[in-house]
This record gives sequence, structure tokens and C-alpha cells, in this order.
Amino acid sequence: MDNIAPDQARTALDAADRARRQVAEEVGLPRGYWWAMAAGWAVLGVLDDLLPSWVAVIATLCFGAGHSFLASRLLSGRRRTDRLQVSAAVAGHRIPLVVVGMLVGLVAVTVLAALAVDADGARHAGIWAGLLVAAVVGFGGPEILRVLRRWVRA
Amino acid sequence: MTKARFDELIHPSTRLSLVATLAAADWAEFAFLKERLDLSDSALSKQLTTLEEAGYVTTERRLSGNRRKLRARLTDTGRNAFNGHIEALKAIVDGATAPAAEPPT
Repeated sequence: MDNIAPDQARTALDAADRARRQVAEEVGLPRGYWWAMAAGWAVLGVLDDLLPSWVAVIATLCFGAGHSFLASRLLSGRRRTDRLQVSAAVAGHRIPLVVVGMLVGLVAVTVLAALAVDADGARHAGIWAGLLVAAVVGFGGPEILRVLRRWVRA
Repeated sequence: MTKARFDELIHPSTRLSLVATLAAADWAEFAFLKERLDLSDSALSKQLTTLEEAGYVTTERRLSGNRRKLRARLTDTGRNAFNGHIEALKAIVDGATAPAAEPPT
């Protein structure tokens, strides 16, 4: 230990920190989660627009129950890939809150989009709003989560 | 608090990166480690064997589809050794940056 210069020690600490950050970049949710969410969003938009409201309510409850089941396993953000499992210490405890907050925000976006489309006089405003947000979730879900994590430092 | 203890086995740069990666994960697959550390199959196998012989790492082969995949994880001994090594490195850096004690008058 005596023959280790402070510069060498600092370089070693930087290397260890870099390795830890590389693992931290793996925090997130599997791609399939986002596509399943997008599909659910689109289907709910269609059901809400075309079928009686009680069917849409039941479908929404089923969707919520399905998400809760998945959430208990995935929302920790530690299993984005099957190539490693990030430790709880590195993943932190705020990922589930960030994801749920993101979903609440997307519900608000869906409602606003539906109102805007409806005000424009288009038919099937719910479907268009649902498809729009489904595309956002499917294609941009991981990136939105990454940005939100950076904002809240989760 | 972890006691600072310089670990000669962990200190070489490749091994330090490997152990630091495993310390941040519950487990990691061979392919992930190989890609992230930019090592050949044989080089990574050699490093893992060295760490496994020291009791710092355990490996297990798991069947995934038709392929067997190797998973590595840090043992408690390995994690303690890594944490102690990091504390020792910090002590070296802190020792160099701490103000020198005033000479007795």
C-alpha cells in the first residue's frame, strides 16, 4: 500500500466509479414493458370510444390490475435486461415513483389531447388521443424515463 | 463503517473494474462483463477464476433456451474486500490532500 501514489489511487477510484455508473445506466424497464403499455393504451382508447362506458371501466380496471402485477416485479428498475440485475443500492428506491408519476402525466396528456381533437371537430377523439400517447410510450418510454430520472436524480 | 484495507488481488485495473461492476449488481452475465470491460473470453475467464479461487466471486451456469449462460456474483467476502480496498484508496488520496501538521515550536 505504501508504494501506491495518490494519483494512482485517484485513478483507481475513478475506474471503480466509472464501472458503478455503467451499471447504473442499466436501470430501467424492459422494452417489452413499454410496448405492452403502449398496446394497452391504444386498446383502452378504442374501447372507451366505441363501446359502452361500463366496458371501458372494466377494461381499465383489468389494465390497472395487470400493471400492478407487473409493477411488483419490474418497477424497481433492476431488471431492464436479462444480462444483469442491478443492486438495490445502485437502483435506489425512487424508480417506482418516477414511473407512476410518468403514467399519471401521460393520462393527463391523453385527456388534453382528446379534448383538443374533439374541439377540432374530429370524430373518435378518444382513439386518436390514445394512439398518440401509445406511440409516445412505445417509442419514447425508456428515453422519457431516463430524462425524468435525471431530473429527480433517481 | 468499513475498515480500510488495501487489497493487492483487487487492485490491478482490469480486476478492479470487474469487481466494481459486480459490486454494483446482484449478478451479471459473462457476456455483459465481457462487453463492458472490453475483454476476450479467455481474459475474462482468467480474471473470474482468480477471483473465484480467492473466494471473492461465485459463478453458476444457467440454462437459457438452448444455451448455457454463465452468471457471476460477488460473495460477501469479495464485497467486504472491495469496500475495504475503496476505503484504503480514499485514505491514500485524503492523506495526500490533507494539510500538513504544523511543526512543534
